Amino acid sequence: MKHLRAMFLAPSVFFTVVLFLIPLTIIVSYSLRTRGVYGGVVDPWTIENYARLFDPLYGMIMVRSVFMSLAATALCLLAGFPTALFIVRNEKHKSLLLNLIMLPFWTSFLVRTYAWMFLLRDTGLINSALIAMGIIKEPLPLLYNETAVIVGLVYGYLPFAVLPIFSNLERLDKALLEAAADLGAKPWETMFHVVLPLCAPGLRAAGVLVFIPCLGAYLTPDLLGGGKSIMIGNLIQNQFTTARDWPFGSAISLALMAGVMVLLIVLIRRDGEEAL
Amino acid sequence: MITRRAALSIALVTGCSRSNAKRLNVFNWSAYVAPETVPNFEKQAGAKVRYSIYESNEEMLARVFSGNSGWDVVFPTHYIVPPMREQHLLADLDHTRLPNLKNLDALFRSPVSDPSLSHSMPYMWNATGILYNTNHGPVPASWADLWAPHWKGHLTMLDDPAEVFAAALRKLGHSLNSRNPAELLAAQKEAIAQKQLLRAYLNTEVRDQAVAGDVLIAQLWSTTAQQAIDAAKHLAFVYPKEGFPLSLDCAVVLRESPRQELAHEFLNYLLEAGVSARIAETMRTATANAAARPLLTQATQSNTTLYPSPETLARAEWFATITPDAQRLRDRLWTEIKSA
Amino acid sequence: MRPLTWFAVGIYAFLHVPLLILCAFSFNSSRFTIWEEFSLEWYRQMFTDAQLGEEALNSLLIAAASTVLATVIGTLCSYGLWKKQAKWLSGSLYLSLVTPEIISGISLLAFFQWAFRHWQFQLGMHTVILAHVAFSISYVVLVVMARLRTAEPALEEAALDLGANEWQAFWLVTLPMLRPGIMAAALLAFTVSFDDYVITSLVAGVDSETLPMVLYAMARRGANPVVSAISALIFVGFGALILISERLQKT
Repeated sequence: MKHLRAMFLAPSVFFTVVLFLIPLTIIVSYSLRTRGVYGGVVDPWTIENYARLFDPLYGMIMVRSVFMSLAATALCLLAGFPTALFIVRNEKHKSLLLNLIMLPFWTSFLVRTYAWMFLLRDTGLINSALIAMGIIKEPLPLLYNETAVIVGLVYGYLPFAVLPIFSNLERLDKALLEAAADLGAKPWETMFHVVLPLCAPGLRAAGVLVFIPCLGAYLTPDLLGGGKSIMIGNLIQNQFTTARDWPFGSAISLALMAGVMVLLIVLIRRDGEEAL
Repeated sequence: MITRRAALSIALVTGCSRSNAKRLNVFNWSAYVAPETVPNFEKQAGAKVRYSIYESNEEMLARVFSGNSGWDVVFPTHYIVPPMREQHLLADLDHTRLPNLKNLDALFRSPVSDPSLSHSMPYMWNATGILYNTNHGPVPASWADLWAPHWKGHLTMLDDPAEVFAAALRKLGHSLNSRNPAELLAAQKEAIAQKQLLRAYLNTEVRDQAVAGDVLIAQLWSTTAQQAIDAAKHLAFVYPKEGFPLSLDCAVVLRESPRQELAHEFLNYLLEAGVSARIAETMRTATANAAARPLLTQATQSNTTLYPSPETLARAEWFATITPDAQRLRDRLWTEIKSA
Repeated sequence: MRPLTWFAVGIYAFLHVPLLILCAFSFNSSRFTIWEEFSLEWYRQMFTDAQLGEEALNSLLIAAASTVLATVIGTLCSYGLWKKQAKWLSGSLYLSLVTPEIISGISLLAFFQWAFRHWQFQLGMHTVILAHVAFSISYVVLVVMARLRTAEPALEEAALDLGANEWQAFWLVTLPMLRPGIMAAALLAFTVSFDDYVITSLVAGVDSETLPMVLYAMARRGANPVVSAISALIFVGFGALILISERLQKT
């Protein structure tokens, strides 16, 4: 009956409309107005904030964010695929293994970033150990650079990559793999020509699930990057705090969200809703 | 759906249960009261104080901006006070309820942000200078020394556009409150040049790195620097000879507060010589209270980091409230520095 | 496949070693990386901080309430969408996943302040819970939908043919099959809520400080072994939870 379905959907409709869409229209209205003298928004309605987005400075920030997110995503996929494969091959313990992947994710994100700072500092554990072992004399500058940020991003989002790939691999028909072996394919060949293509939806989903949060990240670049480089997430954060330019911050965010939605729509069209 | 109702009721009850006793909600910077300051006031006034902390003016402003935040007393830095006043966020201070105002040091009786103290009360102050490691390299004496290649990789600056620009502007000989676009642009060039040597833009977290030796020289606030020096004898602090910025953290009562009388009582309590001295001594902050100074230990009174001499102070300049146009320009320049 | 096993071990180490080291150093009496001596000082400080306990309790209460609400609402929503699509609703849920946290936070803050101008409410636990439910629903729907798509609509049809009504078909046939997906979704919703900083700090109001807010303040001020102690407890606590749920699932 239609009534049951309507009842089931009602609470989510309420939350989505009242606590997401309506607040979002407030943001849209902010993006079209002018910043107040000391913060907040005031009246002249204008599209100036969107026009400002075309400034090459912001384009550069966007490009750097995209590159760093792509790097982190690629590393997550490279690390995530073998890990997922390993879990699938150990059918008996797959629940435990999956949960162990998720466990760091269940401690505070701040704490994990903090743990990395603890390790990477000049007087941190890695440098102290290397110096104690005599491998290096001076501490390596492991923290406060873009590499540290990428490591931090990979560390934070690797679980997001493993889960969809695992989910996809698990449903693969083992018969196909056997058939390939029967036809004389070596393990590597089976991997490249059979498994990877079949796993493409999972890889794509993993890529998207890592890429999106990386793009909007601001804590990791801020803490691990030492505030020296600025990503889109930091830029947005800045507008709402030090710069007190809410309209511009809103415009940047809406543009970012629109871009990501386009990416998602492309992904969904390609794979059908199966992908996610 | 019994669990859902139960969950909701728990939430409502815990949210509402605290509204009965005499309450005061205070929002302050971290490490700005001694452990016994608030409990003693609670006993004295027979009230319960909800005390929370923040790390930056912006964090506080975002919460307070609406005019309906629930806080009674907050502690903005002096250059935020005029904007807050203009946004009608502040209540007028009733001086008849603040007899201890007379305890204030002459230097702070008429701050530029509020000359008649009609809506803000000076609390603690600090200045910005250079913290350095005495075991490495030459002793710095000016902002220009922060651009010396010698410090490459071990130098930090504050993650605050106002402070970084202040240092660069003073290095070039301009006023640290300059709104002149040409001067700001020149300062930006300096900051970008400095990035090659820079380890990171860090605020309070640099304290532990300086103590551990990761950071050898840092632009830092005097009170935070003193806390670092307390922890490590090989650190020292200097006020640059070109001049340096001063900041004053003030207590204000929010206009939205329904507890104006109790708020005033709290402010008056903070102005007591004994209370102020305890805070300044324990937390290593610099008090604006003249009556409290004699109560500090001899060592603290003669501490030139926390309480620089009049000759040093002559080189200092208060941070001014920045105009919107200058802020826009500075923010853009800051974004360019960060993405350089 | 030996190389694969080694690689996987390396990945697990990468994920866990930093946290294990942090836990180990939470027993160090010195604040820095040089091991001085075994000490429970930081744990003592942590346990004697009354406000910390209150904040931890707040975090747990908020996470529990929002998990229950989000899981129930999200599961029902997934089922409804599975029966028949509603593109605008799915689209909005995806959009919610894609929204930067600061935007969610600021928009909800503005919304609550506008709404509260008319009713004499203030920000507090209730606004935090509402905010958490709002952003958790998308995660729940994502997980439960994935499970639903592997389900056989034929089973429900069979039940209907045998005389059950729609509600019974859902409650007795589909829901039990969804259980693992719902448990996973609830775990995800709990994590996302317990760990949230940005949105919570904006809509929290005076009385509802949470653990992430405190951890953030402490971490920003520099090396603080009390943070390590807190994290160690969280890590061990959740680790135990996993092992327990593992045992429960086997029964």
